[in-house]
Amino acid sequence: MKKIAIAALLASVTLFGADHVIDQKGKTFIPHEITVKVGDTLTFVNSDPFAHNAYTDDEANEFDIGMQAPGTKKTVPVKAAGKFDVECAIHPNMLLEVTAN
Amino acid sequence: MKLFTAALILSTSLFGAEGLTHEQMMQTGKNIYETTCISCHGVNGNTDPEMKLVVRPRQLSKSILSEDQMFQIVKHGAHTFGAHADIMPTFKYVYDDNQIRSVAHYVSQSFNKERTQRIEKLLNESTKLSSEQKAQRLKVGAKIFRRKCGMCHGITGNGESEYVEQSKADENFIYPYNLQKILLSEEQIFLYAKFGGHFWGTAKNDMPSWKKRYNDVKLKSVAHYVAQKIKKPNNPQE
Repeated sequence: MKKIAIAALLASVTLFGADHVIDQKGKTFIPHEITVKVGDTLTFVNSDPFAHNAYTDDEANEFDIGMQAPGTKKTVPVKAAGKFDVECAIHPNMLLEVTAN
Repeated sequence: MKLFTAALILSTSLFGAEGLTHEQMMQTGKNIYETTCISCHGVNGNTDPEMKLVVRPRQLSKSILSEDQMFQIVKHGAHTFGAHADIMPTFKYVYDDNQIRSVAHYVSQSFNKERTQRIEKLLNESTKLSSEQKAQRLKVGAKIFRRKCGMCHGITGNGESEYVEQSKADENFIYPYNLQKILLSEEQIFLYAKFGGHFWGTAKNDMPSWKKRYNDVKLKSVAHYVAQKIKKPNNPQE
């Protein structure tokens, strides 16, 4: 029974990947660079008192989480290996560098 | 006849406001500035950075506005030209045109007299557009406007957007301008977008600088798009 439980746990980690929390605070992505694996997810938390809009134009990992209200979080999958930048459509100095293996 | 023409030219250069010499305008403008404007805009146009107002008054020593644009804003108020509220109120019921022209003249000729040279220098240093790039300005500018500027200013530029709705509860929130009503020229829009509002005298959390994200060609394209497709004629009545 114990073996089955451990096997199921390992399978879920493999299947679902890890979740990486990216905070948006003071018009900055925290952390501002991160290394992840394909199959992981990125969860964007907005800790600022105003909205953000994280997105990437990277073809393989393209996403646009849209307008994100203060105090909310949104999750996107990492779909392909490579390096790509995530920006905020509103605040031009926000930059997150992602390396996906 | 030649004498008449010479006198006309002389009078035009000497008298900026009706019947007033440069010296008279400077004196009138200084008096008004030091009794009215100084409480918000500070000594020599340098606003107190610690001033506890929701929107910090513009630092006039850094203003991008021409003397005539300044006259229009003092007379009709900033709201008439796209500000969200009357952060800068209308003074047309307080002062007559000559007095308002005088204060705009005083500001432009005293602590903002480097403005023209500053603008010319920045424009001269910017990338010149090729004829092909000029032909593509509306297409390139529209794409960037919808992706970036429209997020805050709204897709029609009227200052209404989802961003405003989701952010206005922030006590330090600065409402984006209604770009349909602005006074700025295409070149001024380019310089404002490139360097951001703070460079031109607004609070730090005002319009950001886009120079790290977009090169001059793209920013000039956006400025062209705003000037041609967003901005509308704005001639307020007396």
